[in-house]
Amino acid sequence: MAANFWTSSHYKQLLDQEEVDVVQSLDKDRGITLEDFKLIKMHMANYILKLAQNVKVRQRVVATAITYMRRVYTRKSMTEYDPRLVTPTCLYLASKAEESTVQARLLVFYIKKIQSDEKYKYEIKHILEMEMKILEALDYYLVVFHPYRALSQLLQDAGLNDINMTQLTWGLVNDTYKMDLILIHPPYLIALACIYIASVLREKDTTAWFEELHVDMNVVKNISIEILDFYENHRTITEERIISALGKLPLKS
Amino acid sequence: MADLDPSKKVADRYLKREVLGEGTYGVVYKAIDTQTGQTVAIKKIRLGKQKEGVNFTALREIKLLKELKDSNIIELIDAFPHKGNLHLVFEFMETDLEAVIRDRNIFLSPADIKSYLQMTLKGLAYCHKKWVLHRDMKPNNLLIGSNGQLKLADFGLARIFGSPDRRFTHQVFARWYRAPELLFGTKQYGSAVDVWAAACIFAELLLRRPFLQGSSDIDQLGKIFAAFGTPTPSQWPDMLYLPDYVEFQYVPAPPLRSLFPMASDDTLDLLSKMFAYDPKSRITIQQALEHRYFTSAPLPTDPSKLPRPTSKREPTNTNSRVLDLNSNDGPTVLSPPRKSRRVMPDREAFEGNAYRADRLDDHVNEVRELAAGNTSKNEAVPMSLDFSVFGGKPPNRPTINSADRSHLKRKLDLEFQQ
Repeated sequence: MAANFWTSSHYKQLLDQEEVDVVQSLDKDRGITLEDFKLIKMHMANYILKLAQNVKVRQRVVATAITYMRRVYTRKSMTEYDPRLVTPTCLYLASKAEESTVQARLLVFYIKKIQSDEKYKYEIKHILEMEMKILEALDYYLVVFHPYRALSQLLQDAGLNDINMTQLTWGLVNDTYKMDLILIHPPYLIALACIYIASVLREKDTTAWFEELHVDMNVVKNISIEILDFYENHRTITEERIISALGKLPLKS
Repeated sequence: MADLDPSKKVADRYLKREVLGEGTYGVVYKAIDTQTGQTVAIKKIRLGKQKEGVNFTALREIKLLKELKDSNIIELIDAFPHKGNLHLVFEFMETDLEAVIRDRNIFLSPADIKSYLQMTLKGLAYCHKKWVLHRDMKPNNLLIGSNGQLKLADFGLARIFGSPDRRFTHQVFARWYRAPELLFGTKQYGSAVDVWAAACIFAELLLRRPFLQGSSDIDQLGKIFAAFGTPTPSQWPDMLYLPDYVEFQYVPAPPLRSLFPMASDDTLDLLSKMFAYDPKSRITIQQALEHRYFTSAPLPTDPSKLPRPTSKREPTNTNSRVLDLNSNDGPTVLSPPRKSRRVMPDREAFEGNAYRADRLDDHVNEVRELAAGNTSKNEAVPMSLDFSVFGGKPPNRPTINSADRSHLKRKLDLEFQQ
């Protein structure tokens, strides 16, 4: 989407890290820590991806769905808005907003197929009810910008648009959705950070190109460090820790 | 249907008033916003029967209107769920441009037409700047507020564009406003389609009736070619490669002046640039706004001084209007059919009223006379010209095909019949 980012609601809604890292008081009461909070969001981002692979939607829809889910939890508690329902509903809503609708019954079919856990089991009517609540939680702002478009333009501009670099950077961008970066930074800066990491990794000299861009390289480097930190921490994340975090969520009524 | 109990507030904020209309995706009613005292129109989005949650078209409209805030675009003030339905709150608009054009009691001066067109183009320019294509420009989607401000509404067909390779459906716009590239089935199009539709609206303001009233897609092309001549490949090189391209018999273009006898030179120049065949050479909205037409005398009328329909909204009108939207061949004239006609004094002094007079049946002759009178060469209008272009018979609504139907599904909407 080439719409103007700087005049968009997405730009106006960007948050600081401190604003994103707020565990709602209802969740705190249940013993959910900031770390749990981040783990659950990451787990749910993966859940969206898994569902999306089954119902077959574009990467953009996945990215938008994850953004919706992350935005919801800057405003609502997981206690009141069960992530196991919010997550598929965000995918449902994003598929509509991105003009590639997925039928609710198809979604429900795949939820049952890939999640044997009873706690994930929701029916069409639950998704439709939650859709309305999510729309409200998002304050009806549905247009989201992503780094993908900027990425391909920037790679081309840098003369790095070979298959190797494209695949590597694309994968890096996909992984940024396991974090909250999309709520905090303009998408093109996320794209630049991924190019920066990839060019360091592949030993491509992009210093001159970056200098010509007139972007704040400190911001790009900070984002890059955050991404690298994430990869570092990711290795220590065990299934048990995720299960323990999810265990703090209330059982569905 | 409507809850008229004035003591009842919706969402703790809105006092419901009368129903304004019923469309296929919900009821629209008038309400007072108790927070601001403003009159608003609330559109209740009925949930779909297919258990597919919030109506797709409504969602599209919400998505775009939340991004579009401009004085020439309808404002989405609020949205809220109530009793399981989604409600959208819009600023209340008194009437629409179609009602103005059709009201035989209204006289539109060249300055008035300029003002309406300028507001239309300003709204579109804002959309295009934000990379949004409206894709459903027509007079009854141009709403007019109590201060005379014209605002673009009905973004249910609108889309964000920008990816050059993104393929869209060509089944957009009511047929009469569809650009030739759409009629030839293009899937890759841009803001030029909105320019064409705006040109049709411009022409409609001048003629006081829809300009190119095709009864099928092929007929629509025929009407276009009869008016502007069959395009040649040199005029429009890409035409030959469009998916649904068919060769038409060559018809030369009659002088544009013969179609708009009363129009000024500036008017005709802008009109011809907006009606350019090749979308690549068609004028952009921004260029159109900078055209000398808008800076030459007469200057655009101040919106608050524009003529507007005076008749009060009648429930019967509402019904007929809504029915009209769902039938194939309903009447298109919204004002009372046989008002006492007035011959305008000094009609030569004005553009845009050439066809306002008298019985529709007389139009053909009238056009012939006018054309002849204005071109001095009596045979300037080629005989092959299809005179039904000029509204020789009472206009039918375009027939409804499946694509139109999906458009009509969520039709209604902000047509507050005044």
